[in-house]
Amino acid sequence: MTFNERLKVWRYNILPFHVIGEILTKRWTDSAIPFVTLIVTVVAFGTVIPHFFSLYSLQESTRQLGEFSLVVIGESVVMLGGGIDLAVGAIFALSAFAAISVFFIFAMPVWVAFLAATAAGLIFGAINGYLIGYIRLRAFLTTLVTLIIGRAFFEILIVHFSSQAQMSQVSSDIWDFIGDGTVFGFSIPVLAAILLAVITHITLTRLRLGWHILAVGGSRRSAHNAGIQVRRVVFLTYVFSGLTSGMAGFLFATRLSGAGIGTGHGLEILALTAAVVGGNSLGGGRGSVVKGLMGAIIVLVMTNGLIRLGYGTGTNQMVIGILLAIAVTIDIRWLKNRHKVLDEAYVVPVYLKMGAAQSAVPGSGTPFEFNNQLSKAKSIGLKEIEGPEDVILDRDDHLYCGTRHGEIVRFFAPDYTRSEIFAHVGGFPLGLAFDRSGNLLSCVGAMGLYSISPDRVVKRLTAETGRSLTSVIDDAILRDPNDLDIAPDGRIYFTDSTKRYNAYDWMLDSIENRATGRLLVYDPKDGSTKTLLDGYRYTNGVCMAHDNKSLFFAETWACSVHRYWLEGPRAGTAECVIRDMPGYPDNINRASDGTYWMAFLGMRTPSFDLSLQHPAMRKRMTRRLPQDEWLFPNVNTGGVVKFDENYNIIRTMSDFAGEAHPSVTSMREHKGYLFVGGILNNRVGRIKIDGADENWSAIDAYWGTTS
Amino acid sequence: MIFDPILDLFRGKTITIPPLDGPFRANNTLEEAALFARLSSVDNLAVLNDRIIASSGDTLYAFDENGKAKMLQSYAANITALAVSPGNEWAVGLDTGELLIAGHQADLPPSVKCITALAFAQDGSLWMANGSTHHPPSAWVADLMEKNVSGSVWKGDPEGNNFRLISDKLAFPYGLLADNDGVVASESWRHRLVKIDGESGACRILVNHIPGYPSRLAPAPDGGAWLSVFAPRNRLIELVLQENAYRFDMMSRVPRDFWIAPALSSGRSFLEPLQCGSIKLMGIHKPWSPSRSCGMVVRLDAAMVPIDSFHSRANGTRHGTCSAVENGNRLFIAAKGDDALLTMNVSEAGGSQ
Repeated sequence: MTFNERLKVWRYNILPFHVIGEILTKRWTDSAIPFVTLIVTVVAFGTVIPHFFSLYSLQESTRQLGEFSLVVIGESVVMLGGGIDLAVGAIFALSAFAAISVFFIFAMPVWVAFLAATAAGLIFGAINGYLIGYIRLRAFLTTLVTLIIGRAFFEILIVHFSSQAQMSQVSSDIWDFIGDGTVFGFSIPVLAAILLAVITHITLTRLRLGWHILAVGGSRRSAHNAGIQVRRVVFLTYVFSGLTSGMAGFLFATRLSGAGIGTGHGLEILALTAAVVGGNSLGGGRGSVVKGLMGAIIVLVMTNGLIRLGYGTGTNQMVIGILLAIAVTIDIRWLKNRHKVLDEAYVVPVYLKMGAAQSAVPGSGTPFEFNNQLSKAKSIGLKEIEGPEDVILDRDDHLYCGTRHGEIVRFFAPDYTRSEIFAHVGGFPLGLAFDRSGNLLSCVGAMGLYSISPDRVVKRLTAETGRSLTSVIDDAILRDPNDLDIAPDGRIYFTDSTKRYNAYDWMLDSIENRATGRLLVYDPKDGSTKTLLDGYRYTNGVCMAHDNKSLFFAETWACSVHRYWLEGPRAGTAECVIRDMPGYPDNINRASDGTYWMAFLGMRTPSFDLSLQHPAMRKRMTRRLPQDEWLFPNVNTGGVVKFDENYNIIRTMSDFAGEAHPSVTSMREHKGYLFVGGILNNRVGRIKIDGADENWSAIDAYWGTTS
Repeated sequence: MIFDPILDLFRGKTITIPPLDGPFRANNTLEEAALFARLSSVDNLAVLNDRIIASSGDTLYAFDENGKAKMLQSYAANITALAVSPGNEWAVGLDTGELLIAGHQADLPPSVKCITALAFAQDGSLWMANGSTHHPPSAWVADLMEKNVSGSVWKGDPEGNNFRLISDKLAFPYGLLADNDGVVASESWRHRLVKIDGESGACRILVNHIPGYPSRLAPAPDGGAWLSVFAPRNRLIELVLQENAYRFDMMSRVPRDFWIAPALSSGRSFLEPLQCGSIKLMGIHKPWSPSRSCGMVVRLDAAMVPIDSFHSRANGTRHGTCSAVENGNRLFIAAKGDDALLTMNVSEAGGSQ
């Protein structure tokens, strides 16, 4: 291996760049940007400002944070429901005034002051909610109006009554405790915020009302169609926001024991910024309370930090404005382009140097030399079926095949002109096999391993295996179960071709060429599924050897066949027995003369083989060209080859003009005939095999002639 | 979007090609055209005494009106260009770089090694296109994949002497059409037609963004012309042209027939490259799928503006159309990739506009 090749292997096969794409598939990446911002903000201001983390400083700032968080939680809920609440500042101020006037001027108990504050919040919230939810006015304008009226109202009141409140001699220990005391080092506002956050979080994520809010925010129309009372839900979000603002106003009143013209001024902008910076979507439906809290901390640390560093309100507001602009841009661009970024990052081709293959060109004189015999096959079900990946015959000579519509179609012997839908499974039924009691088992692409009883009852056997410790994507699920075979003891050996792509994206797996194929076993006795082998380039066909002591499986993109021993000294190990074939192997099945049939899905081309050594070029190809333009192995020519126990190729059959059977994915020998299927084809082929045992059928060879 | 140039750095700039629309709108006319004659690698057509003559390998044939071929002359090397003078003498260029006019070897400048097209002007002077200084005409695909721009256009006297360089630094001039004050040349690797002034050699673009690789030009009686396009543009090929490491690796290690490059015919060997869209699905090869080869003949009006075109698409066979001439209200088309000489009625053919 040259130095350049080593470098490519290291760069493309060892460095785990594919993990980036896998991480991006996770929903929690939405919170990554706000989280990083939070860490950076806290660390930056913590280092620049002395005593930032001292206990007193923390308690004072967290007291303020607690009040602010309450407001932000309310704002977040409104935004999750698809709205916006600009009136929070005004409600906050009015509630604070309500608490102060009740406590200081009317000398009522603290709990009455609390009720007055929350009632003020609820009333204003209800006005907003009624106008927006039921009258269906625009949220932005409506809350802007309530903001203006509310503030005007507050300013009139505060001018008239502030001196009265200040002169009051009323005092209360409870009032002072709420405003100044701590419980286990936590101030009351912080405890209140934590309590409310927990309740809101549980409501949003676990309770019906929360789900309704998210549904309404995600899509009003769909929510309405689903039977959700959209107007009521919208109404409730504003009431909730009013309530939290009211509570925050009360806490503010106890802390400062007074209110002034500036109380709650600009709070709506801060709350809005916090909610968006935290990662709540402006469009509604996406976000959480935790995101709101993250945003609250970011915004408060920034504004307080800037003040302590000596910057004026102008700078402060400028920073908030810029922060909001950035957050809104990221929010909108990210939501819109998230899937594109994922597409960009997900495909990470690897380097592979394929071994030189023997030629299959007609006239080349190699064992693989192709001919045109398969073009003479008689068509069964031409244009009636689409995508018979595998074909199989039962004891009555009826023919079964899967289709891309998720059905198992049965053609009736002897002439195979009549057909019926035997069963509807869904997914894309690929490999087929009959078990001892006549159940038809199928590997269903994108679904799992299924069993169909003779009386057509479809049953899922397994759809998952053990999860490996180091995987980022969920590799417990079976994305592309491909082919299976059954051992005499009933265990089902099957392949799952790739962990990274769903069954329908198998072409992308070929471009990437990453070795993530598996061989698995399902034990019907205890229903368990185990991974036997991992790390192959698209594991495909499986076939029990004639003596049942080992099995063969195909590794498609590596153009190899492996043998896996079930018993004997090498039990549990696999060996590559045929390598560097000129075509891509698919299913393998038994032949009547003690040898094996193997389908060629397509042929290697020198240009594609070369591209495997240029992973960066393949990556750019996936980025710069639409899928229809990508380079692909030549699957317009396939065929059938036969190999014996010594792994010699003893026969080939193909249709190299590709008229009838361009790509061949399976074949099944039955009573002197070979039945040929293709996942991209619209027919099953049937061709007489010269010299084959006309009494041999696979089902008898597996399970005996009795029953 | 204004951010696109910045984002392109991270996501890769999309490769686009001109669409088959307007005058280039795809149809099946060439596929349905009558077969005039079968002729192995039929290349350049011309009209001699109201008869069609065609080059095929190293031999020149003449056809009667029923498509019966008669050998006119055989040469020592493959014929790469053909033209008939106003005096009904024929000139041929050979793959060895020789030029024979009426049987006499012309005196060529030493840099001319790749004669791709010949055209006689009304005054009898001879225009000659030299496709490349690096390769003979038979190795055109290597010239394209090396991205050479070394073609030139020359003008000589009727006897083939005193050739004078009119314009150089052309990307494989592959067709010539002489007019009163100069020549129209098809610049194949740049997908365009240029007008070259006979005196100054100044180039002016006449047709840009042709959705294929243009080859020979022939005059039409109405003052317009016929342009043959021998292969379509293909986005994968355009990508490979920009992928230097892969391209040079491919040129040194992959047999030339199996390169990711335009071709005169395709789909005949399973060793050829295949693109996802060209996969036969449910027994169907989509006609609009990407292809390395196609058949296309374009009708140009007197101002050299494309007005109509005839096609053989990805699922067809009449590919590699290297030449088309009009004779007696009939159009004759050489589909080199299909070894076929086709014919169609000109007035019928004009119906698709």
